[in-house]
Amino acid sequence: MNLSKRLLLILIAPFGGLGAFGAFAQEPIPLKGDELFGTLRARQIGPALMSGRIVELEAHPTDPRVMYVGAAGGGVWRSKDGGVTYQSIFDKHTQCIGAIALDPTNPDKNIWVGTGEVWTRNSVSIGDGIYKSSDGGENFTKMGLEKSERISAIEIDPTNANVVYAGVQGALWSASADRGVYKTTDGGKTWEKILYVDENTGCSELVMDPKNPQVLYAAFWEHRRTAWSFNSGGLQSALYKTTDGGKTWNKIHNGFPAGKLGRIAVAIAPSNPNILYSVIESEKDDTKGLYRSDDAGANWKRTNGDFELTVRPFYFSRIVIDPKNPDILYKAGLSGSVSRDGGKTFRTLGYMHSDIHDFVIDPNNTDHLTIATDGGVYRSWDGGSVLDMVKNLPVSQFYQVSVDNAKPYKVYGGLQDNGSWYGPSESPGGIENRDWFSVGQGDGFRVYRHPTKANITYSEMQGAEYIWRYDIDRKQSKVIKPLAEANEPKLRFNWNAAMNLSPHKPDRLYIGSQFLHRSDDMGETWTKISPDLTTNDPAKQQQENSGGLSADNSGAENHCTIFSVAESPLDENIIWVGTDDGNVQVTTDSGKTWTNVVANVPNLPKNTWAYHVEPSRFDKNTCYVVFEGHSSGDFAPYTYKTTDGGKTWKSIVTKDIPTYVRHIKEDLVNPNLLFLGTELGLYVTVDGGQNWSQFKSNVPPVAVHYIAIHPETNDLVLATHGRGIIILDDISPLRQITKDVIAKDVVFMQTKPTVVREDAAFAEGGDAGEYVGDNPSRVAKIIYYLKNRHTFGKMTMEIFDKDGKKVGDLVPGKSKGINVVDWAYRLKTPKVAKAKTLSFGGFTAPRLPVGTYTVKMTKGTNTYEHKVTLVADPNSMHTDADRAAQYETTMKLYDMTEQLAYMVDNLDAMRDGAADRLTKNAKLKKVVEPMLKEFDALKETLVVTKGDNYVGAAEPQFREKLASLYSEVAGYAGRPSNAQMANLKVLEGRFNDAKTKIEGWQTTQLPKLNAQLVKLKLDEIKLRSFDEFKAADK
Amino acid sequence: MKTLKSIALTAILSLAAWSVQAQTVDEVIDKYFENTGGKAKWAALKSIKISGKAKAQGMEIPLTIVQEQGGKQKVSINFQGKEITQVAFDGSNAWTTNFQTMKAEKMEAEETENMKINGASDFPDPFLGYKDKGYKAELEGKETIEGTECFKVKLTKKPIKVDGKSEDEVSYYFFDTQNFVPIMSRTTGKKGQMKGIVQETLMSDYQETSSGIMMPFSMSMKFNGQVGQAMTADKVETNITIDPKEYVMPEGK
Repeated sequence: MNLSKRLLLILIAPFGGLGAFGAFAQEPIPLKGDELFGTLRARQIGPALMSGRIVELEAHPTDPRVMYVGAAGGGVWRSKDGGVTYQSIFDKHTQCIGAIALDPTNPDKNIWVGTGEVWTRNSVSIGDGIYKSSDGGENFTKMGLEKSERISAIEIDPTNANVVYAGVQGALWSASADRGVYKTTDGGKTWEKILYVDENTGCSELVMDPKNPQVLYAAFWEHRRTAWSFNSGGLQSALYKTTDGGKTWNKIHNGFPAGKLGRIAVAIAPSNPNILYSVIESEKDDTKGLYRSDDAGANWKRTNGDFELTVRPFYFSRIVIDPKNPDILYKAGLSGSVSRDGGKTFRTLGYMHSDIHDFVIDPNNTDHLTIATDGGVYRSWDGGSVLDMVKNLPVSQFYQVSVDNAKPYKVYGGLQDNGSWYGPSESPGGIENRDWFSVGQGDGFRVYRHPTKANITYSEMQGAEYIWRYDIDRKQSKVIKPLAEANEPKLRFNWNAAMNLSPHKPDRLYIGSQFLHRSDDMGETWTKISPDLTTNDPAKQQQENSGGLSADNSGAENHCTIFSVAESPLDENIIWVGTDDGNVQVTTDSGKTWTNVVANVPNLPKNTWAYHVEPSRFDKNTCYVVFEGHSSGDFAPYTYKTTDGGKTWKSIVTKDIPTYVRHIKEDLVNPNLLFLGTELGLYVTVDGGQNWSQFKSNVPPVAVHYIAIHPETNDLVLATHGRGIIILDDISPLRQITKDVIAKDVVFMQTKPTVVREDAAFAEGGDAGEYVGDNPSRVAKIIYYLKNRHTFGKMTMEIFDKDGKKVGDLVPGKSKGINVVDWAYRLKTPKVAKAKTLSFGGFTAPRLPVGTYTVKMTKGTNTYEHKVTLVADPNSMHTDADRAAQYETTMKLYDMTEQLAYMVDNLDAMRDGAADRLTKNAKLKKVVEPMLKEFDALKETLVVTKGDNYVGAAEPQFREKLASLYSEVAGYAGRPSNAQMANLKVLEGRFNDAKTKIEGWQTTQLPKLNAQLVKLKLDEIKLRSFDEFKAADK
Repeated sequence: MKTLKSIALTAILSLAAWSVQAQTVDEVIDKYFENTGGKAKWAALKSIKISGKAKAQGMEIPLTIVQEQGGKQKVSINFQGKEITQVAFDGSNAWTTNFQTMKAEKMEAEETENMKINGASDFPDPFLGYKDKGYKAELEGKETIEGTECFKVKLTKKPIKVDGKSEDEVSYYFFDTQNFVPIMSRTTGKKGQMKGIVQETLMSDYQETSSGIMMPFSMSMKFNGQVGQAMTADKVETNITIDPKEYVMPEGK
């Protein structure tokens, strides 16, 4: 073991254990939000190659370059360049979108966003009202309808922008009076509910007559979802029309089937408002399908009942009609379809991701389509036969995330309708779509890499239809799902079935049905180690009857199943289980006996989904459990902690948490540092749950379904259900926040020694159309807490080496809270000889050798010091001697570069001085003219005196050759090549020759000339010292 | 009687507190000028020259900025002993330097026109007499910047042209609620490589200059939230005479 490796171990050691934190009760730390987090910032890594569910598209009425995209869980994105790039414009607000509308009178400025998705699948999130921007999307303000949960449509009166109608579909999982059609006449300040049916029936579609804003059509839908069932349809579902701006409404069902109706789609032809289409979900198959009206809804006639028209109405009830031709219409569906004969016949659209939700048809080129799917945005230029995907919308919806121990580590997870994947946490040039690899089909959920076998992953699809063990190297997958044995009941798996690894046995795997199954041989054999751990309530097991008017038994409503399982990191015999029907079961004898401890949890509604169990890594009797009741309409946060194995529980959430929680992650080092994944973003506590703060920097209020912490990098990795994977690199500063720290003006945080990475890959890609996720920063971090923001007076930061020599100047962070300053551990670039053109090699800055450096921060009259340590890359292929040779050679060339610059400065001073004196006295001609010739001849060989920086470049001269060698040697971490060392010798020879020549002139000709100048009463030519030259900027 | 008085006093106090809370945009701006030297001193400013360093991607580049009444301005950097004008405006022409040829090149005509529209009014501070300049300032509540509560002020200058279309020139300034100096500004790029990119400039190290005005000696820029370049001023000179030729585009070079 060499010294640097040993040093690394010693320095890491204090971060490995409990350290100073212990298990003492933490004093409250009331700092909130950015007061605490300061400049800590997360990075988003996508991916965008599979993108995510898109709910809504909205085009600009006149500018075809502008397109708005509303995602199911990923916010609002806008393109202003014809769809090449998209920017997220709704990062501060809930990311679950229902409807987007642009004010036709001022579409560049006034943007409305209704939140809450209306394609009400089991995993759907929630909205929290309607928002408006009056400045083109820079800022959005909430304009009410807070309890609407889901907004299906927004219609704006083209004659008066203050008149806006909102269709509110409303609560999915509960009865609610907050639904119907709402109208504002004052731009959103106040709203009036102008059409209401009952508390189970909401407005699922609202359209305005393009020629008469007094005419609107509103579809009402009776529906309800529970965790175990879905019902679409009832006697209250109906289609209504108003012709007086919503004062009076009439049902327009003439021609519609009688009895119960389900979800109704409605659209009005932009080119002829008398022509309407509607898709009806009804009791009988022969009355379901497309209906057309040619008299503005007075009469309807069924035209077609094809599969694509009737499939899953709750998910696909949208029709979009060609802006010019009322006989061309597109229908959302499993594949999407188009009719070109007024709805009589349809053909399926071309290949794209399945599950189509919305269309935009370019009014200037009606073959140009933009399409919303479960797998992102697609576009077509030929009316929908051939489609290409937008590959830079990182709205992927992860259910879970895990990490491995590769370097750099990889991230694993499964996505809504988009399979299972892994990708790198870092990649040359950024994390691109091509860096991600598929390890499972269908809907993806939990994905793990085998703890010791780097080529093995486990993944699953919906309802555990398949559970795969996949060999990445050999590209072979084996289905390893547990199967019911003789005399056993059918196994019930959740849509998102529980699966976990063991922290103790690498080949062990747990799977939850209603029973807990364990395998100790990577899934080849399974042992049932529990009885049915659920309530086994037969009333919640009628999925075959789910769906309402249209059967919908996809597995999404499977219930009375195990949802979460975890083996204690401290004792493999302790296993915790949470079930979707509200049980928390624990065994302390490896499954022989189980205890249901949920009755001990105070203030928890019965049967609230036990969403995540998190046994502590600090104490085996401690466990955290997150309960989640949104599927019964309860959006309250429930997170509890037990310290006695489940006998007693204490709530650890506060009023700081505004919504329901899906996940908790206990830090690996500080037991008081906890992370909550909520439906509206990431929350952090540093005092064991007494105070919580939302972490907002580059983490929107997106649903966070799962969290992992990497044990070596200390990165916090978030599985978001709408914004892909988000990583907060190195959370170790948060571990160090204590009551003492926040009382001080300035406190430096301890950081791990920085490994000086030597790899420097060629990077290619990153074109505008492709998403590129951010890489982590490799440089050293200087991290400190500031009690107050520094605004007045000087604040500087300098770096000194072990000999006290200054090696760097940094710009310190000045934020209140935690500041992170990057230090690239490089010297300044050398001062380069002045020439006609730039020396690009001269822009190289030498990397400093490993070792300990002192940071000196001066704030006003106070100075604060801190040490940072650089250590060699343990994977380095170079020896310490190699690195020393590299640094020595680099610095030799660095010094030669600066010496050359000084020589040229002297030469220029002599030449320009002599030329100047000659203009003042012609007697000097005889002496000065030959001198100038000599000077010029030498200078032309030292630096480039003509040409430009590109293809007009002159032949490189000595400066350029020196800079080339310098940048080559400085750019590689190991020993210079023999050719480079030989070249150094050649250059040294030339350098010394030039130096001798110039110094010769300085010591012989210059004094002579100066003596003559004195005689002629002219100023002497003076040369500056090297230090003066270095200090001068110009 | 005593009780009544104290109730009245409480009411007055809470009213006073209310008025402190309910700032108007002009109160914020006035306080800012008051706290940084007073409007008279600001108005007396004729020219300013900032010498300092730009730091980006590990490089430290000497930088000079000169600005004067009427909108003339020049930003130059020093690369390997060569003075390179990054952008200059002499009141009618705006120009820059091509990095390949190192020659002066005119900026796009629209860009020059846009500089004429607002450039002349921005010196020495866009908020000084902003109404007379035809600018609009609005207080849009509060926002926490760098852990610090700030007043968010929206400044709308005269409309500029973007690819031939007229667009509002909007920027947001964040004034610390404690001391009323701006600690950040935010704008969004409108075209070219900056299109759609949110640029935030953090201001700190406010120090008094020779003319008695407090100015930020440190500015750090973030692009889409990521730290970009920083600028620190070593020297700020005010009311110096600047040769008008400094701003003029060199010919035939």
